[in-house]
Amino acid sequence: MRKERFQRLQEQLEAHGVDGLVLLGSSSVAYATGAAVPAQEGDHAALFRPVAVVVRGDSAPHLFTLYTDGVPADLPEDHLHGPLFPDLDDGMDLFADALSGHFSATARVGIDDQTRAMLRGLQGFDWVDASAVMGAAKVTKTPDEVACIRNAQLINELAMVDALTTLRPGIRQIDLSAIFLRRIFELGASANGIDPIWQVMAPARELGPWTLHGDLAYPTVTTDRFLREGDVIWVDAGITWQGYASDYGRTWITGADPTPNEKQEAQFRRWRTVVDAALDILEPGVSATQLGKAAIEANDGVRPWIEHFYLAHGVGTDSAEMPLIGTDFGERFDDQLIMQPGMVVVFEPVIWEDGAAGYRSEDIVAVTDTGWVKLSGSTYDPYGVSA
Amino acid sequence: MSPVPRDRGVLVGMMGLEDDARVDFGRLRAQRRAKVFSGMQRHDLDALMLGGVGDVRYVTGARQLGRAGVLPFAPVAVAVRQTERVHLLSTWDEGVPPEIGHDDLYGLSWNPVNLAAALAAIPGVRESRRVGTDGLTPMFSGLLSRLVTSGELVDAAPVIQAARRIKTPDEITCLDVAAAIAEAALSALEDALAPGITERDLLGVYYARVAGLGAPIPPSESVCFATPSSGPVRFRYLASDRPIKDGELVVLAPGALYAGYEAGLARTRVAGSPATATATTTATKLAARCARSMDTLLSACRPGNTGADLYRAWESAGNRESPVPLAHGLGLGAEPPLIGLGRGGDAPLEEGMVLSVQSWVTEEGAGGCLERETVRIENTGATILTRYGRL
Repeated sequence: MRKERFQRLQEQLEAHGVDGLVLLGSSSVAYATGAAVPAQEGDHAALFRPVAVVVRGDSAPHLFTLYTDGVPADLPEDHLHGPLFPDLDDGMDLFADALSGHFSATARVGIDDQTRAMLRGLQGFDWVDASAVMGAAKVTKTPDEVACIRNAQLINELAMVDALTTLRPGIRQIDLSAIFLRRIFELGASANGIDPIWQVMAPARELGPWTLHGDLAYPTVTTDRFLREGDVIWVDAGITWQGYASDYGRTWITGADPTPNEKQEAQFRRWRTVVDAALDILEPGVSATQLGKAAIEANDGVRPWIEHFYLAHGVGTDSAEMPLIGTDFGERFDDQLIMQPGMVVVFEPVIWEDGAAGYRSEDIVAVTDTGWVKLSGSTYDPYGVSA
Repeated sequence: MSPVPRDRGVLVGMMGLEDDARVDFGRLRAQRRAKVFSGMQRHDLDALMLGGVGDVRYVTGARQLGRAGVLPFAPVAVAVRQTERVHLLSTWDEGVPPEIGHDDLYGLSWNPVNLAAALAAIPGVRESRRVGTDGLTPMFSGLLSRLVTSGELVDAAPVIQAARRIKTPDEITCLDVAAAIAEAALSALEDALAPGITERDLLGVYYARVAGLGAPIPPSESVCFATPSSGPVRFRYLASDRPIKDGELVVLAPGALYAGYEAGLARTRVAGSPATATATTTATKLAARCARSMDTLLSACRPGNTGADLYRAWESAGNRESPVPLAHGLGLGAEPPLIGLGRGGDAPLEEGMVLSVQSWVTEEGAGGCLERETVRIENTGATILTRYGRL
């Protein structure tokens, strides 16, 4: 998998006429090197981040890391280096030396993030955004990458069984987080990705948080909020396994008897219909626009996703990456976004009935040569049981 | 209540109390904001555009979704000197403090051109002459210059890093609470530690404890590792699923975040019981060396000293160069200075800074021993915020 990914990066460097990459973002470093890093939050992650340098024509990436126990066994010894601490001026000369050994002063080098210390201390290259090269390499997955996503998803789903079993009035959002987070590590997760979300959906838009666009607020941050009888909660969580993200989305009901009522069950069926309408036409060659249209038609002409989100997004070493379907990139972008074998697509439409809340889940599929294969599980408890 | 309680211990809890006895977050945010705007004045910056998680939290005080890892720079918060307003990338108002009004929010965009348009519409941004950022990407440097402002894009650090370095009393209280959460996690880890348990299970125990306390996002998932009782001993960061053996020295190093503020500590414990009387003696000696080295480091944490004094203290305790940092700043996550691994010799230590200080010593045949504390530098020396018994 690491070899194939590196090969893809090399091909894209060639195709884009770029001499190499300097990568600082966690998901890019993970993609380019396969290096494992302990999950860290915010500025802790930034100060101690590893750096990857990819040189066009080379046989392996260079990795600069503090986390020696996360270095892939097949990384050549002369490609492994001590940490660079790109956020600090102190030691930036070492970073400059490392680059001047690989790139000429006028080289065209892709970069994903520039700290202020780097802007001061790394002069002389023709810096371009790394996103074109990275995006093109990452957008389709190898079979091994798809297997990693499937495994991450399985761990995530199994841990959610324990959380759902515990849900009843009086449980707090953080109690669900505690159960879930403990369980993912027992099951073999490499890391947690985001603070798990257990958002209580107010029945009407105007009873939920105020928003700029008037549409729903989602996702809001977990607190010690109590979950109470009748609360409809939209769950979202993501872990990683071997660098690959899962994406779990389901709707749960809090109550002594969490069986959905007729309206809620109908919302679920409509959600299923919308996803099925997109899946019915999903195959290589189909455009994002066509998928969006199919979903909207199945929802009687109403766009079934939140204005600031999408009908679907990709997943890989990032929890949301290309292909993004139905975003503010706009129609022309979606016209040109064509499904290809190896793309992984997370459908997360939202069915909303103002006054009676709504339903949201996530179905993950990988596009194959002829259609698609599902990577996420097919139970939607407590919904869909009677259907 | 009186402005400063004589027993500060009453502040170290997480529930709101009906007499408002705990951290006054309104005051905390107002003081941070005042430092930022006076810094902008002093350094002649008309606007700040910030993307770093700690910087955004410092200037806005918003509760935003916690996520693991580093994202490339994007302008998530904007401060404008002329209007004294702070603007935030948030499509909704939940988690946003009241001093940031609905008019001050700009929404989530996937398309950077739309984000640039929203930034350009913020009053005072377009006409700014000098705009401080805490990072850039080639894409954003192009977009900001073409679509958002004709101002010069300069470093925000003289304002934001300087403001963050010295902690206010409210910030220290947040760090105290974070320290107490980390200590609770350490107790849970100690209780669970026994031969046969895996590091992965211990990480699960850690998470269950901090999440149950209301702090589900840890500063780091590197919270424990067993050290081998034979062969070379290395510091490890990733949890393995190998069962911990009877008699192994195990590092327990939990941290915690409270309102974004990070504290942490580490202790080393024996799983089960040492194999032989000799092993007991070796482990005791190693623990004593670890503690002695820690005390020497702590005694060097004084205002007026620099990182070089910590390097000297470490050597004077009979240690070779450490493969891990000796110290780094703490606040809203980890922050400069970093002292160790060849960095930070010139970094000045000032009164009011908070550091994570650690002593890591090893011996082949015995294992490794780590002590870590969160300390505040006061005029007379270091005050240790973390409290936990030594081995």
